[in-house]
Amino acid sequence: MNERELALAVAAEAPAPDPDFARQLDERVARGFPRDSRAARLTLARARAASVLRRRPPVAALGAIASVLIALAVAVSLIGGESATRHADVPGTSGADQRPGGAIELDSPTDGKIANPAPAQPPAAAKRRSEALDAGLATEPAIVRPHPDAATTLRDDGTQLAVPVPPAPRPGFAPGTRDRRIERSATLALAAPDDRLDKVAADIAAVTDRYRGFVLSSSLATGDEGATTGGSFELRIPAARLDAALADLAELGQVRSRTTAGQDVTAAFVTAGDRLEAARAERASLLTRLENATTDNAAAALRLQLDATAGEINRLKSRIAVLRIRTDYANVAVTLQSTDADTAAPASGERDGLRGALDDAADSLGTALELAIRALGVAIPLALVAAAVALAARAIRRRRRESALH
Amino acid sequence: MTDPATARSTGVNEAIVEPGVALGATTEEAESFEALYRRTFPRVYAYVASLVRERAAAEDVTALAFERAYRKRNRFRPARGTREAWLFGIARNAALDELRKRKRRASLEAEPEDPAAPDFDGHADSALRRATVRAALAQLDAREHEIVALKFMAGLSNAEIAGVLGISESNAGTKLHRTVNKLREACDERA
Repeated sequence: MNERELALAVAAEAPAPDPDFARQLDERVARGFPRDSRAARLTLARARAASVLRRRPPVAALGAIASVLIALAVAVSLIGGESATRHADVPGTSGADQRPGGAIELDSPTDGKIANPAPAQPPAAAKRRSEALDAGLATEPAIVRPHPDAATTLRDDGTQLAVPVPPAPRPGFAPGTRDRRIERSATLALAAPDDRLDKVAADIAAVTDRYRGFVLSSSLATGDEGATTGGSFELRIPAARLDAALADLAELGQVRSRTTAGQDVTAAFVTAGDRLEAARAERASLLTRLENATTDNAAAALRLQLDATAGEINRLKSRIAVLRIRTDYANVAVTLQSTDADTAAPASGERDGLRGALDDAADSLGTALELAIRALGVAIPLALVAAAVALAARAIRRRRRESALH
Repeated sequence: MTDPATARSTGVNEAIVEPGVALGATTEEAESFEALYRRTFPRVYAYVASLVRERAAAEDVTALAFERAYRKRNRFRPARGTREAWLFGIARNAALDELRKRKRRASLEAEPEDPAAPDFDGHADSALRRATVRAALAQLDAREHEIVALKFMAGLSNAEIAGVLGISESNAGTKLHRTVNKLREACDERA
Protein backbone atom coordinates (compact mmCIF):
# COMPACT_ATOMS: atom_id res chain seq x y z
CA MET A 1 0.00 0.00 0.00
CA ASN A 2 1.60 3.22 -1.10
CA GLU A 3 1.23 6.52 0.69
CA ARG A 4 -1.56 7.81 -1.49
CA GLU A 5 -3.59 4.68 -1.03
CA LEU A 6 -2.93 4.81 2.69
CA ALA A 7 -4.03 8.45 2.85
CA LEU A 8 -7.23 7.68 1.02
CA ALA A 9 -7.88 4.72 3.23
CA VAL A 10 -7.32 6.66 6.44
CA ALA A 11 -9.45 9.55 5.17
CA ALA A 12 -12.19 7.07 4.44
CA GLU A 13 -12.09 6.10 8.11
CA ALA A 14 -12.87 9.65 9.19
CA PRO A 15 -16.07 9.67 11.27
CA ALA A 16 -18.84 11.56 9.56
CA PRO A 17 -21.20 13.80 11.48
CA ASP A 18 -24.80 12.81 11.91
CA PRO A 19 -27.01 14.74 9.47
CA ASP A 20 -29.35 15.86 12.28
CA PHE A 21 -26.44 17.15 14.32
CA ALA A 22 -25.04 18.88 11.24
CA ARG A 23 -28.39 20.56 10.60
CA GLN A 24 -28.75 21.73 14.20
CA LEU A 25 -25.24 23.11 14.22
CA ASP A 26 -25.84 24.80 10.89
CA GLU A 27 -28.79 26.61 12.41
CA ARG A 28 -26.81 27.67 15.47
CA VAL A 29 -24.02 28.98 13.31
CA ALA A 30 -26.48 30.82 11.13
CA ARG A 31 -28.01 32.45 14.23
CA GLY A 32 -24.59 33.27 15.67
CA PHE A 33 -24.78 30.92 18.65
CA PRO A 34 -27.51 32.86 20.44
CA ARG A 35 -27.36 33.03 24.21
CA ASP A 36 -30.80 34.42 24.84
CA SER A 37 -32.64 31.16 25.07
CA ARG A 38 -33.53 30.01 28.55
CA ALA A 39 -32.27 26.52 27.89
CA ALA A 40 -28.97 27.82 26.65
CA ARG A 41 -28.59 30.02 29.71
CA LEU A 42 -29.37 27.13 32.02
CA THR A 43 -26.94 24.91 30.19
CA LEU A 44 -24.28 27.55 30.36
CA ALA A 45 -24.91 28.14 34.08
CA ARG A 46 -24.76 24.43 34.80
CA ALA A 47 -21.58 24.11 32.83
CA ARG A 48 -19.99 26.99 34.68
CA ALA A 49 -21.11 25.68 38.07
CA ALA A 50 -19.77 22.25 37.25
CA SER A 51 -16.56 23.80 36.04
CA VAL A 52 -16.16 25.75 39.27
CA LEU A 53 -16.91 22.72 41.40
CA ARG A 54 -14.64 20.54 39.33
CA ARG A 55 -11.86 23.03 39.25
CA ARG A 56 -8.98 22.55 41.58
CA PRO A 57 -7.93 25.33 43.87
CA PRO A 58 -6.35 28.00 41.66
CA VAL A 59 -2.92 27.76 43.18
CA ALA A 60 -1.34 29.92 40.51
CA ALA A 61 -3.94 32.64 40.91
CA LEU A 62 -3.64 32.55 44.68
CA GLY A 63 0.12 32.77 44.37
CA ALA A 64 -0.15 35.74 42.06
CA ILE A 65 -2.56 37.49 44.42
CA ALA A 66 -0.26 36.80 47.36
CA SER A 67 2.68 38.18 45.40
CA VAL A 68 0.74 41.32 44.57
CA LEU A 69 -0.26 41.81 48.18
CA ILE A 70 3.30 41.31 49.40
CA ALA A 71 4.64 43.72 46.79
CA LEU A 72 2.03 46.28 47.74
CA ALA A 73 2.88 45.91 51.42
CA VAL A 74 6.57 46.36 50.68
CA ALA A 75 5.85 49.35 48.47
CA VAL A 76 3.64 50.97 51.06
CA SER A 77 6.22 50.45 53.76
CA LEU A 78 8.95 51.84 51.52
CA ILE A 79 6.90 54.85 50.59
CA GLY A 80 5.98 55.43 54.22
CA GLY A 81 9.57 55.18 55.35
CA GLU A 82 10.62 57.46 52.56
CA SER A 83 8.01 59.96 53.59
CA ALA A 84 9.22 59.89 57.16
CA THR A 85 12.79 60.34 56.00
CA ARG A 86 11.78 63.19 53.79
CA HIS A 87 10.01 64.81 56.66
CA ALA A 88 13.14 64.57 58.72
CA ASP A 89 15.16 66.06 55.87
CA VAL A 90 13.16 69.21 55.63
CA PRO A 91 15.69 72.03 55.50
CA GLY A 92 16.17 73.56 58.83
CA THR A 93 15.08 70.55 60.81
CA SER A 94 18.33 68.68 60.75
CA GLY A 95 21.87 69.64 61.37
CA ALA A 96 22.98 68.27 58.02
CA ASP A 97 20.78 70.66 56.14
CA GLN A 98 21.93 73.53 58.17
CA ARG A 99 25.43 72.87 56.93
CA PRO A 100 25.24 72.38 53.21
CA GLY A 101 28.26 70.74 51.68
CA GLY A 102 30.98 73.03 50.57
CA ALA A 103 29.70 76.01 52.43
CA ILE A 104 31.43 77.21 55.52
CA GLU A 105 29.17 78.05 58.32
CA LEU A 106 29.33 81.65 59.21
CA ASP A 107 28.27 81.58 62.78
CA SER A 108 30.07 78.52 64.00
CA PRO A 109 33.32 79.26 65.81
CA THR A 110 34.76 75.83 65.07
CA ASP A 111 33.35 74.18 61.97
CA GLY A 112 35.17 75.06 58.80
CA LYS A 113 35.83 78.59 59.76
CA ILE A 114 38.79 80.26 58.26
CA ALA A 115 39.87 82.94 60.64
CA ASN A 116 41.28 85.93 59.00
CA PRO A 117 42.88 88.79 60.80
CA ALA A 118 41.00 92.02 60.81
CA PRO A 119 41.45 94.00 57.65
CA ALA A 120 44.39 96.33 57.69
CA GLN A 121 43.56 99.41 59.69
CA PRO A 122 45.20 102.79 59.87
CA PRO A 123 47.37 103.49 62.92
CA ALA A 124 44.73 105.75 64.42
CA ALA A 125 42.16 103.03 64.32
CA ALA A 126 44.63 100.62 65.82
CA LYS A 127 45.23 103.06 68.63
CA ARG A 128 41.53 103.42 69.33
CA ARG A 129 41.18 99.71 69.30
CA SER A 130 44.07 99.38 71.69
CA GLU A 131 42.35 101.78 74.03
CA ALA A 132 39.25 99.71 73.93
CA LEU A 133 41.26 96.63 74.74
CA ASP A 134 42.78 98.40 77.68
CA ALA A 135 39.37 99.40 78.86
CA GLY A 136 38.23 95.80 78.74
CA LEU A 137 35.67 96.40 76.01
CA ALA A 138 37.35 94.49 73.23
CA THR A 139 38.67 90.99 72.88
CA GLU A 140 41.67 89.81 71.00
CA PRO A 141 40.90 89.30 67.29
CA ALA A 142 42.63 85.97 67.38
CA ILE A 143 39.46 84.60 68.88
CA VAL A 144 37.39 85.02 65.82
CA ARG A 145 33.75 84.55 66.53
CA PRO A 146 30.59 86.44 65.95
CA HIS A 147 29.06 88.65 68.51
CA PRO A 148 28.48 86.76 71.73
CA ASP A 149 24.86 87.74 71.70
CA ALA A 150 24.46 86.69 68.10
CA ALA A 151 21.35 84.83 67.25
CA THR A 152 21.06 82.38 64.43
CA THR A 153 18.39 82.63 61.85
CA LEU A 154 17.77 80.06 59.16
CA ARG A 155 17.40 81.03 55.59
CA ASP A 156 15.05 79.14 53.36
CA ASP A 157 17.91 77.27 51.75
CA GLY A 158 18.92 75.87 55.10
CA THR A 159 22.05 77.92 55.67
CA GLN A 160 22.42 79.86 58.83
CA LEU A 161 22.60 83.57 58.94
CA ALA A 162 24.20 85.12 61.96
CA VAL A 163 22.19 88.08 63.07
CA PRO A 164 23.57 89.63 66.23
CA VAL A 165 20.83 90.56 68.57
CA PRO A 166 21.10 93.92 70.24
CA PRO A 167 21.24 93.75 74.00
CA ALA A 168 17.85 93.52 75.51
CA PRO A 169 16.74 96.79 77.08
CA ARG A 170 17.30 96.75 80.78
CA PRO A 171 15.87 99.11 83.31
CA GLY A 172 18.26 102.00 83.84
CA PHE A 173 16.32 105.10 83.02
CA ALA A 174 17.26 107.95 85.33
CA PRO A 175 14.49 110.52 85.47
CA GLY A 176 15.48 114.14 85.57
CA THR A 177 18.92 113.63 84.11
CA ARG A 178 19.73 115.84 81.17
CA ASP A 179 22.99 114.27 80.09
CA ARG A 180 21.73 110.89 79.18
CA ARG A 181 24.06 107.97 78.61
CA ILE A 182 22.76 105.62 75.85
CA GLU A 183 24.54 102.43 74.91
CA ARG A 184 23.76 101.93 71.24
CA SER A 185 24.07 98.82 69.07
CA ALA A 186 23.19 97.92 65.56
CA THR A 187 23.23 94.94 63.21
CA LEU A 188 23.56 95.04 59.50
CA ALA A 189 23.34 92.10 57.10
CA LEU A 190 24.84 92.81 53.69
CA ALA A 191 24.91 90.70 50.55
CA ALA A 192 27.14 91.07 47.54
CA PRO A 193 28.22 88.97 44.57
CA ASP A 194 31.05 86.54 45.11
CA ASP A 195 33.51 88.58 43.13
CA ARG A 196 32.86 91.68 45.24
CA LEU A 197 32.95 90.15 48.70
CA ASP A 198 36.61 90.92 49.26
CA LYS A 199 36.19 94.53 48.22
CA VAL A 200 33.11 94.98 50.39
CA ALA A 201 35.03 93.55 53.33
CA ALA A 202 37.81 96.07 52.78
CA ASP A 203 35.28 98.88 52.39
CA ILE A 204 33.68 97.98 55.70
CA ALA A 205 37.02 98.54 57.42
CA ALA A 206 37.53 101.79 55.49
CA VAL A 207 34.12 103.18 56.45
CA THR A 208 34.75 102.23 60.05
CA ASP A 209 38.01 104.10 60.04
CA ARG A 210 36.51 107.09 58.29
CA TYR A 211 34.10 107.54 61.17
CA ARG A 212 36.84 107.19 63.79
CA GLY A 213 35.81 103.71 64.69
CA PHE A 214 37.66 100.44 64.71
CA VAL A 215 37.15 96.81 63.76
CA LEU A 216 37.02 94.74 66.92
CA SER A 217 36.98 91.40 65.14
CA SER A 218 36.33 90.02 61.72
CA SER A 219 36.19 86.70 59.98
CA LEU A 220 35.91 85.71 56.36
CA ALA A 221 34.64 82.33 55.23
CA THR A 222 35.87 80.71 52.06
CA GLY A 223 34.40 78.00 49.90
CA ASP A 224 35.92 74.92 48.36
CA GLU A 225 37.70 76.93 45.70
CA GLY A 226 39.21 79.35 48.16
CA ALA A 227 36.97 82.23 47.20
CA THR A 228 35.37 84.31 49.89
CA THR A 229 31.80 83.25 50.50
CA GLY A 230 30.93 85.47 53.44
CA GLY A 231 32.12 87.03 56.62
CA SER A 232 31.24 88.79 59.83
CA PHE A 233 32.59 91.95 61.42
CA GLU A 234 32.29 93.43 64.87
CA LEU A 235 32.77 97.17 64.77
CA ARG A 236 32.98 99.96 67.28
CA ILE A 237 31.86 103.30 65.89
CA PRO A 238 31.44 106.57 67.79
CA ALA A 239 27.85 106.71 68.90
CA ALA A 240 27.41 110.25 67.72
CA ARG A 241 28.24 109.22 64.15
CA LEU A 242 26.48 105.86 64.14
CA ASP A 243 23.64 106.82 61.84
CA ALA A 244 25.95 108.26 59.22
CA ALA A 245 28.25 105.26 59.43
CA LEU A 246 25.37 102.85 59.03
CA ALA A 247 24.19 104.75 55.99
CA ASP A 248 27.60 104.44 54.40
CA LEU A 249 27.89 100.78 55.30
CA ALA A 250 24.49 100.12 53.79
CA GLU A 251 25.69 101.46 50.48
CA LEU A 252 28.41 98.82 50.25
CA GLY A 253 26.00 96.02 49.34
CA GLN A 254 22.46 94.78 49.34
CA VAL A 255 20.95 95.25 52.77
CA ARG A 256 19.24 92.10 53.92
CA SER A 257 18.45 93.25 57.44
CA ARG A 258 19.19 96.21 59.66
CA THR A 259 18.41 96.68 63.30
CA THR A 260 19.33 99.29 65.86
CA ALA A 261 18.81 99.29 69.60
CA GLY A 262 19.68 101.45 72.55
CA GLN A 263 20.05 100.90 76.24
CA ASP A 264 19.84 103.73 78.70
CA VAL A 265 22.66 103.31 81.23
CA THR A 266 22.32 106.82 82.68
CA ALA A 267 21.17 105.51 86.03
CA ALA A 268 24.18 103.25 86.38
CA PHE A 269 26.46 106.05 85.23
CA VAL A 270 25.00 108.57 87.73
CA THR A 271 25.02 106.07 90.54
CA ALA A 272 28.64 105.23 89.92
CA GLY A 273 29.49 108.96 89.86
CA ASP A 274 27.66 109.60 93.09
CA ARG A 275 29.35 106.70 94.79
CA LEU A 276 32.71 107.92 93.48
CA GLU A 277 32.14 111.32 94.99
CA ALA A 278 31.15 109.71 98.26
CA ALA A 279 34.24 107.55 98.25
CA ARG A 280 36.42 110.54 97.57
CA ALA A 281 34.80 112.43 100.44
CA GLU A 282 35.32 109.41 102.61
CA ARG A 283 38.95 109.32 101.68
CA ALA A 284 39.38 113.05 102.45
CA SER A 285 37.77 112.52 105.82
CA LEU A 286 40.02 109.57 106.56
CA LEU A 287 43.09 111.58 105.59
CA THR A 288 42.06 114.34 107.95
CA ARG A 289 41.50 111.89 110.74
CA LEU A 290 44.85 110.27 109.99
CA GLU A 291 46.61 113.59 110.38
CA ASN A 292 45.00 114.01 113.75
CA ALA A 293 45.62 110.49 114.97
CA THR A 294 47.49 110.31 118.26
CA THR A 295 48.28 106.66 118.59
CA ASP A 296 49.87 104.19 116.25
CA ASN A 297 46.96 101.79 116.49
CA ALA A 298 44.48 104.44 115.46
CA ALA A 299 46.70 105.47 112.55
CA ALA A 300 47.01 101.86 111.36
CA ALA A 301 43.26 101.37 111.44
CA LEU A 302 42.74 104.56 109.46
CA ARG A 303 45.28 103.44 106.87
CA LEU A 304 43.42 100.18 106.36
CA GLN A 305 40.20 102.09 105.79
CA LEU A 306 42.01 104.38 103.37
CA ASP A 307 43.24 101.39 101.37
CA ALA A 308 39.73 99.98 101.12
CA THR A 309 38.37 103.33 100.09
CA ALA A 310 41.08 103.72 97.47
CA GLY A 311 40.16 100.35 96.03
CA GLU A 312 36.53 101.33 95.89
CA ILE A 313 37.43 104.58 94.17
CA ASN A 314 39.48 102.77 91.54
CA ARG A 315 36.70 100.25 90.90
CA LEU A 316 34.13 103.02 90.50
CA LYS A 317 36.39 104.97 88.20
CA SER A 318 36.94 101.93 86.05
CA ARG A 319 33.23 101.27 85.88
CA ILE A 320 32.54 104.83 84.91
CA ALA A 321 35.21 104.61 82.22
CA VAL A 322 33.68 101.45 80.86
CA LEU A 323 30.24 102.99 80.80
CA ARG A 324 31.59 106.07 79.13
CA ILE A 325 33.29 104.10 76.36
CA ARG A 326 30.27 101.82 75.88
CA THR A 327 28.14 104.84 75.43
CA ASP A 328 30.67 106.73 73.39
CA TYR A 329 31.11 103.83 70.91
CA ALA A 330 28.26 101.92 69.38
CA ASN A 331 28.55 98.19 68.86
CA VAL A 332 27.90 97.36 65.24
CA ALA A 333 27.73 93.76 63.97
CA VAL A 334 27.95 93.36 60.24
CA THR A 335 27.42 90.07 58.42
CA LEU A 336 28.36 89.65 54.80
CA GLN A 337 27.01 86.96 52.54
CA SER A 338 26.99 86.09 48.87
CA THR A 339 24.07 86.87 46.63
CA ASP A 340 25.15 84.08 44.27
CA ALA A 341 24.15 81.50 46.86
CA ASP A 342 20.67 82.93 46.76
CA THR A 343 20.65 82.60 43.01
CA ALA A 344 21.85 79.02 43.17
CA ALA A 345 19.22 78.00 45.69
CA PRO A 346 16.43 80.48 45.63
CA ALA A 347 13.94 80.27 48.40
CA SER A 348 10.58 78.97 47.36
CA GLY A 349 8.91 82.07 48.59
CA GLU A 350 11.14 84.28 46.46
CA ARG A 351 10.47 82.45 43.23
CA ASP A 352 8.36 84.36 40.88
CA GLY A 353 8.01 85.02 37.24
CA LEU A 354 9.21 82.87 34.39
CA ARG A 355 12.31 81.68 36.20
CA GLY A 356 10.29 80.53 39.17
CA ALA A 357 7.86 78.76 36.91
CA LEU A 358 10.69 77.01 35.11
CA ASP A 359 12.25 76.02 38.40
CA ASP A 360 8.95 74.70 39.65
CA ALA A 361 8.44 72.81 36.42
CA ALA A 362 11.88 71.26 36.69
CA ASP A 363 11.21 70.31 40.28
CA SER A 364 7.88 68.80 39.35
CA LEU A 365 9.46 66.89 36.50
CA GLY A 366 12.17 65.58 38.77
CA THR A 367 9.63 64.57 41.37
CA ALA A 368 7.50 62.83 38.77
CA LEU A 369 10.55 61.07 37.38
CA GLU A 370 11.57 59.98 40.82
CA LEU A 371 8.09 58.70 41.49
CA ALA A 372 8.03 56.88 38.17
CA ILE A 373 11.34 55.21 38.90
CA ARG A 374 10.12 54.11 42.28
CA ALA A 375 6.91 52.82 40.74
CA LEU A 376 8.88 50.93 38.14
CA GLY A 377 11.01 49.51 40.89
CA VAL A 378 7.87 47.93 42.26
CA ALA A 379 6.05 47.26 39.01
CA ILE A 380 8.86 45.54 37.13
CA PRO A 381 9.49 42.80 39.72
CA LEU A 382 5.76 42.48 40.10
CA ALA A 383 5.33 42.08 36.36
CA LEU A 384 8.13 39.53 36.23
CA VAL A 385 6.52 37.53 39.00
CA ALA A 386 3.14 37.75 37.30
CA ALA A 387 4.64 36.68 33.98
CA ALA A 388 6.40 33.74 35.61
CA VAL A 389 3.19 32.73 37.34
CA ALA A 390 1.24 33.04 34.10
CA LEU A 391 3.78 30.96 32.20
CA ALA A 392 3.81 28.35 34.92
CA ALA A 393 0.02 28.23 34.98
CA ARG A 394 -0.08 27.91 31.22
CA ALA A 395 2.46 25.10 31.27
CA ILE A 396 0.57 23.30 34.00
CA ARG A 397 -2.70 23.67 32.15
CA ARG A 398 -1.13 22.43 28.96
CA ARG A 399 0.44 19.47 30.72
CA ARG A 400 -2.87 18.54 32.30
CA ARG A 401 -4.55 18.65 28.94
CA GLU A 402 -1.85 16.60 27.33
CA SER A 403 -2.16 14.04 30.10
CA ALA A 404 -5.60 13.20 28.75
CA LEU A 405 -3.92 11.51 25.78
CA HIS A 406 -1.98 9.07 27.95
CA MET B 1 -25.97 23.82 4.81
CA THR B 2 -23.37 21.08 4.99
CA ASP B 3 -23.08 19.11 1.83
CA PRO B 4 -22.30 15.44 2.51
CA ALA B 5 -20.20 15.24 -0.58
CA THR B 6 -18.14 18.16 0.56
CA ALA B 7 -17.95 16.71 4.03
CA ARG B 8 -16.36 13.60 2.77
CA SER B 9 -14.09 15.13 0.21
CA THR B 10 -12.50 17.61 2.63
CA GLY B 11 -11.42 14.97 5.06
CA VAL B 12 -8.22 14.04 3.25
CA ASN B 13 -4.85 15.55 2.80
CA GLU B 14 -3.84 18.08 0.27
CA ALA B 15 -3.42 15.51 -2.47
CA ILE B 16 -7.10 14.87 -2.66
CA VAL B 17 -8.59 18.12 -1.40
CA GLU B 18 -10.73 19.73 -4.00
CA PRO B 19 -8.93 22.59 -5.69
CA GLY B 20 -11.64 25.07 -4.84
CA VAL B 21 -11.32 24.30 -1.17
CA ALA B 22 -7.59 24.76 -1.02
CA LEU B 23 -6.82 27.61 1.29
CA GLY B 24 -4.86 30.71 0.78
CA ALA B 25 -3.84 33.22 3.35
CA THR B 26 -5.55 36.06 1.57
CA THR B 27 -8.86 34.29 1.34
CA GLU B 28 -8.64 33.20 4.96
CA GLU B 29 -8.31 36.69 6.29
CA ALA B 30 -11.41 37.88 4.48
CA GLU B 31 -13.37 34.74 5.12
CA SER B 32 -16.47 34.92 7.27
CA PHE B 33 -16.93 32.60 10.18
CA GLU B 34 -19.80 30.86 8.45
CA ALA B 35 -17.64 30.11 5.45
CA LEU B 36 -14.94 28.79 7.74
CA TYR B 37 -17.52 26.61 9.41
CA ARG B 38 -18.83 25.26 6.13
CA ARG B 39 -15.34 24.46 4.98
CA THR B 40 -14.05 22.81 8.14
CA PHE B 41 -17.03 21.33 9.96
CA PRO B 42 -16.69 17.72 8.68
CA ARG B 43 -12.96 17.70 9.31
CA VAL B 44 -13.26 19.17 12.76
CA TYR B 45 -15.87 16.61 13.64
CA ALA B 46 -13.71 13.79 12.28
CA TYR B 47 -10.70 14.99 14.23
CA VAL B 48 -12.66 15.45 17.45
CA ALA B 49 -14.35 12.10 17.06
CA SER B 50 -11.00 10.42 16.58
CA LEU B 51 -9.90 11.87 19.90
CA VAL B 52 -12.94 11.37 22.10
CA ARG B 53 -14.11 8.21 20.29
CA GLU B 54 -17.74 8.67 21.21
CA ARG B 55 -20.35 10.08 18.90
CA ALA B 56 -22.34 12.07 21.46
CA ALA B 57 -19.23 13.50 23.04
CA ALA B 58 -17.81 14.29 19.62
CA GLU B 59 -20.95 16.22 18.72
CA ASP B 60 -20.88 18.16 21.99
CA VAL B 61 -17.19 18.96 21.68
CA THR B 62 -17.51 19.96 18.04
CA ALA B 63 -20.39 22.29 18.79
CA LEU B 64 -18.50 23.71 21.76
CA ALA B 65 -15.38 24.22 19.68
CA PHE B 66 -17.22 26.15 16.99
CA GLU B 67 -19.04 28.22 19.58
CA ARG B 68 -15.76 29.07 21.30
CA ALA B 69 -14.22 29.96 17.98
CA TYR B 70 -17.20 32.13 17.17
CA ARG B 71 -16.91 33.97 20.50
CA LYS B 72 -13.17 34.42 20.06
CA ARG B 73 -13.17 35.07 16.34
CA ASN B 74 -11.88 38.60 16.87
CA ARG B 75 -8.86 37.31 18.77
CA PHE B 76 -7.48 35.43 15.79
CA ARG B 77 -4.07 36.72 14.75
CA PRO B 78 -2.93 35.69 11.25
CA ALA B 79 0.69 36.14 12.28
CA ARG B 80 0.40 33.20 14.65
CA GLY B 81 -0.84 30.74 12.06
CA THR B 82 -3.64 29.95 9.70
CA ARG B 83 -7.27 30.21 10.64
CA GLU B 84 -7.66 26.45 10.35
CA ALA B 85 -4.78 25.80 12.72
CA TRP B 86 -6.36 28.23 15.18
CA LEU B 87 -9.72 26.48 14.88
CA PHE B 88 -8.27 23.01 15.27
CA GLY B 89 -6.31 24.20 18.31
CA ILE B 90 -9.56 25.26 19.93
CA ALA B 91 -11.14 21.94 19.01
CA ARG B 92 -8.18 20.06 20.43
CA ASN B 93 -8.35 21.90 23.74
CA ALA B 94 -12.07 21.22 23.98
CA ALA B 95 -11.55 17.57 23.20
CA LEU B 96 -8.76 17.18 25.73
CA ASP B 97 -10.88 18.92 28.35
CA GLU B 98 -13.65 16.47 27.59
CA LEU B 99 -11.26 13.55 27.92
CA ARG B 100 -9.98 14.86 31.23
CA LYS B 101 -13.51 15.39 32.43
CA ARG B 102 -14.49 11.90 31.67
CA LYS B 103 -11.25 10.51 33.07
CA ARG B 104 -11.46 7.67 30.77
CA ARG B 105 -10.92 6.97 27.17
CA ALA B 106 -13.97 5.92 25.35
CA SER B 107 -13.68 2.94 23.21
CA LEU B 108 -13.97 3.70 19.61
CA GLU B 109 -17.52 3.71 18.69
CA ALA B 110 -18.27 1.57 15.75
CA GLU B 111 -18.90 3.92 12.94
CA PRO B 112 -21.89 3.07 10.82
CA GLU B 113 -21.18 2.45 7.24
CA ASP B 114 -21.27 5.68 5.37
CA PRO B 115 -23.40 5.27 2.30
CA ALA B 116 -21.65 8.26 0.74
CA ALA B 117 -18.20 6.83 1.26
CA PRO B 118 -16.35 6.68 -2.02
CA ASP B 119 -15.42 3.37 -3.44
CA PHE B 120 -11.75 3.93 -4.17
CA ASP B 121 -11.15 1.37 -6.78
CA GLY B 122 -14.56 -0.01 -7.34
CA HIS B 123 -13.45 -3.54 -6.47
CA ALA B 124 -14.88 -5.93 -3.93
CA ASP B 125 -11.79 -5.91 -1.78
CA SER B 126 -12.32 -2.31 -0.62
CA ALA B 127 -14.09 -3.54 2.50
CA LEU B 128 -11.13 -5.71 3.35
CA ARG B 129 -8.74 -2.83 2.83
CA ARG B 130 -10.76 -0.59 5.13
CA ALA B 131 -10.81 -3.27 7.79
CA THR B 132 -7.05 -3.55 7.52
CA VAL B 133 -6.56 0.18 7.88
CA ARG B 134 -8.98 0.36 10.78
CA ALA B 135 -7.08 -2.40 12.57
CA ALA B 136 -3.78 -0.67 11.90
CA LEU B 137 -5.15 2.60 13.25
CA ALA B 138 -6.22 0.81 16.39
CA GLN B 139 -2.62 -0.15 17.03
CA LEU B 140 -1.52 3.45 17.21
CA ASP B 141 -1.35 5.18 20.53
CA ALA B 142 -3.36 8.29 21.19
CA ARG B 143 -0.73 10.77 20.05
CA GLU B 144 0.02 8.86 16.87
CA HIS B 145 -3.67 8.53 16.19
CA GLU B 146 -4.08 12.26 16.70
CA ILE B 147 -1.36 13.23 14.28
CA VAL B 148 -2.74 10.85 11.65
CA ALA B 149 -6.18 12.37 12.14
CA LEU B 150 -4.81 15.88 11.80
CA LYS B 151 -3.01 14.95 8.61
CA PHE B 152 -5.39 12.67 6.78
CA MET B 153 -8.79 13.43 8.28
CA ALA B 154 -8.42 17.14 8.95
CA GLY B 155 -6.19 17.74 5.96
CA LEU B 156 -3.78 20.07 7.73
CA SER B 157 -0.30 20.85 6.53
CA ASN B 158 2.73 20.02 8.62
CA ALA B 159 3.02 23.66 9.68
CA GLU B 160 -0.61 23.71 10.75
CA ILE B 161 -0.19 20.47 12.65
CA ALA B 162 2.80 21.96 14.42
CA GLY B 163 0.70 24.97 15.35
CA VAL B 164 -2.10 22.83 16.73
CA LEU B 165 0.21 20.59 18.75
CA GLY B 166 2.48 23.39 19.90
CA ILE B 167 5.62 21.84 18.44
CA SER B 168 8.02 22.80 15.70
CA GLU B 169 7.22 22.07 12.09
CA SER B 170 10.21 19.78 11.67
CA ASN B 171 9.22 17.90 14.78
CA ALA B 172 5.71 17.54 13.42
CA GLY B 173 7.08 16.25 10.12
CA THR B 174 9.30 13.74 11.87
CA LYS B 175 6.50 12.43 14.04
CA LEU B 176 4.18 12.21 11.08
CA HIS B 177 6.74 10.32 9.02
CA ARG B 178 7.35 7.77 11.78
CA THR B 179 3.64 7.33 12.36
CA VAL B 180 2.87 6.82 8.69
CA ASN B 181 5.64 4.24 8.44
CA LYS B 182 4.28 2.49 11.48
CA LEU B 183 0.80 2.56 10.03
CA ARG B 184 1.99 1.25 6.66
CA GLU B 185 3.92 -1.57 8.26
CA ALA B 186 0.88 -2.52 10.27
CA CYS B 187 -1.22 -2.54 7.12
CA ASP B 188 1.37 -4.60 5.25
CA GLU B 189 1.53 -7.15 8.04
CA ARG B 190 -2.23 -7.59 7.97
CA ALA B 191 -2.37 -7.66 4.23
